[in-house]
Amino acid sequence: MANAVAIPASHEESEVITKPVGNHAAGNSRTCDTTGLPVCLTAQLFIRLNAVLGVVALLAGGIAALLIALTRWPAVHLLDPVWYYRLTTFHGLNMLIFWILFMEVGILYFASTTLLNSRLFSKGMAWASFVMMVAGAVLVDVTILGGKADVMMTSYVPLKAHSNFYLGIILVAVGTLIGVANFFGTLYIAKRDKTYAGSVPLVVFGATAAAIIAVVTLLHGALVMIPTWLWSMDILKEVDAGWYRLVWWGLGHQSQQVNVCAMVSVWYFLATLTTGAKPLNQAVCRGAFVLYILFINLASAHHLLVDPGVGASWKIWNTSYAMYLAVLASMIHGFTVPASVETAMRKKGHNRGLFGWLAAAPWKNPGFSAFFLSLLIFGFIGGITGVTLGTQQINILAHNTLRIPGHFHSTVVGGTSLAFMGLAYYVVPLIFKREYYARGLARVQPYLFAVGIVLMSLGMSFAGSYGVPRRHWDIEFTGAQFAPGFGSGAHVMLGLMGVGAVIAFVGLLTFILLTVAAVFFGKKIENRAMTPW
Amino acid sequence: MSIHAPEANWFKPPSGAERTWIGLALAWCLVLSIMMPYWHFKGKQNSTGDSYRVTPAAFAARVEQFVKTNKVAEINGVPVVEPSPGGDAYLQGQMWRWYPALKLRVNQTYRLHISSTDLQHGFSLQPMNMNFQVLPGYDHVLTITPTMKGEYSIVCNEFCGIGHHLMTGKIIVE
Amino acid sequence: MPENEEKAAEVFAHEHEEEEHKTPGTVVLTLALLISFAVYYFANWKALADVWHVR
Repeated sequence: MANAVAIPASHEESEVITKPVGNHAAGNSRTCDTTGLPVCLTAQLFIRLNAVLGVVALLAGGIAALLIALTRWPAVHLLDPVWYYRLTTFHGLNMLIFWILFMEVGILYFASTTLLNSRLFSKGMAWASFVMMVAGAVLVDVTILGGKADVMMTSYVPLKAHSNFYLGIILVAVGTLIGVANFFGTLYIAKRDKTYAGSVPLVVFGATAAAIIAVVTLLHGALVMIPTWLWSMDILKEVDAGWYRLVWWGLGHQSQQVNVCAMVSVWYFLATLTTGAKPLNQAVCRGAFVLYILFINLASAHHLLVDPGVGASWKIWNTSYAMYLAVLASMIHGFTVPASVETAMRKKGHNRGLFGWLAAAPWKNPGFSAFFLSLLIFGFIGGITGVTLGTQQINILAHNTLRIPGHFHSTVVGGTSLAFMGLAYYVVPLIFKREYYARGLARVQPYLFAVGIVLMSLGMSFAGSYGVPRRHWDIEFTGAQFAPGFGSGAHVMLGLMGVGAVIAFVGLLTFILLTVAAVFFGKKIENRAMTPW
Repeated sequence: MSIHAPEANWFKPPSGAERTWIGLALAWCLVLSIMMPYWHFKGKQNSTGDSYRVTPAAFAARVEQFVKTNKVAEINGVPVVEPSPGGDAYLQGQMWRWYPALKLRVNQTYRLHISSTDLQHGFSLQPMNMNFQVLPGYDHVLTITPTMKGEYSIVCNEFCGIGHHLMTGKIIVE
Repeated sequence: MPENEEKAAEVFAHEHEEEEHKTPGTVVLTLALLISFAVYYFANWKALADVWHVR
């Protein structure tokens, strides 16, 4: 089993053209013993740092997730209201912002150095980015846990948090922006030094799309967070509630499209590593990424579909920009990714029937199972619910109900986070150069997590269809003036959500323990290929 | 390979099943797009965002005036107010109640003004499950026609502080 | 046409024939997606039609 990673076969096609040379300083790069790819040691350091901090945020957010899910499960109703709302805020920021952004900066460094055979543009910028992001994340978390920012992740004005909360977010955003600039710098020197020939690889193209959207996103973040920060210190008198929502969602939803781009890039990456898949048509895959860049910011309007202040034509136009071209992009990737796997598997002789190729796929490889489950969950649950909820009039049935978190947990958790977990099963052996222990457990982990997230997302979605609100401590309304109450159907669905959350948490904890054990105590991989999954 | 530079002549139009799928997906996107303007003209449920600038104090004054003129009863110490059919009704969201309770006639149309006098709130009519955003400074007008009799509750589904889950209201349709 | 070029053209055409991929499994998978999408989407319009009228 020599080819742990199925690359050699088409290595030739790039070698035919010319043999570009990297621009690494002497002694500052190594060749991966498994893939033969060059690794910049500076980039490697920061990929490691970012991955570690990402996993720390994931653990913090994950513990909060379990506690708030057990509170929303009416039969358990664990926390008191103060801590429920506090940890909901904490969970949102750690998961949706810190875990994801740390991972994404790491992915950008990886894609621009290893895949382009380049050195990282600037070590100083990488430090600046990392330190700012860590400082910002710690500031936000300390402020929230200290009870000074019970405002939810969205911090809708005029609900006011301590100014350190906004400052922390600004630091994280600027730190990320510096990381993104370092990525563009690396693209520039790689091009200048001709470290690669022809067009950039598809994964780099996807990462570039993510980076471009990230810049637009983070500029919206600055536009909304800086005035809000000044307002929190009484320097500005007022921030308009409607204006805040409009600009904040330019940050809030577009940042999720950065995740989509990064996730799709990871799909292509893992499909190649685990099955040797290669895109059928580069132009189609790249075109779909371009559609993301051009059309994805429309999703920002989906949060304002039942708002005052914006009219029907604004809502309808911005729901689709006349055409759902970003949805089209996802539907294209939804075809090209499995089609590339199918083609690769059929080429290997797995030709039986319609799905013989799928049955023969490396389901015991957590890199593959995490990637393919991520694809299925993102498409079948996340995508379908997302477009439906984001339909202008249908939003009347869904706005601020549990259907919304039901949707985005199947995109950003079942989709992005699961794909990133699959990525980790290669990052740890290839970048940290350590083997995983308990490999049997690692093979089961993606399934455990996926089943949990599916149950939880469906439970949330259907409870939301009964009208159950999101971010709500007590749907029994004990002590309220009027007690609406929700029927048994909603309670069953919330129970399903609770069970799913517990399973997902076990899957998450398994992932973290396995990864931490591997990173710090795993068997070293020196001068040999990783043990294939 | 997704991780290596593609062949030099990588640009080619889609073909085969891939091409068919792109066509099909594009057609579906068109259906999705057309549904919204279609419903805007033919459907009975639309969020037009009809709204006016109002200060919290001015809105609270209008609500008080409305309660004084149209109050018909009281439940749980909350005034029940019946607007005239076709007329204006007012609903104030504040930490943590919807004020006042409303009594409406089935199949009559009302201009329901909703605003907040403090934070953002979420108007969520249950078990009908209709949801609208409520912002301070904006008088959000829903031209609404109850089509079924019954007692309905209003929940707040936008986080508004520690008592958020206690914020409820009532609409009775006769 | 020189012989060499002719051969090159032949090889090129052949290579591109090989590029024609058969992916029936993916077609079924994506059609299943499209059908579930349409069912969920129109079920929601149906549910919307049943609530109070509002403009």
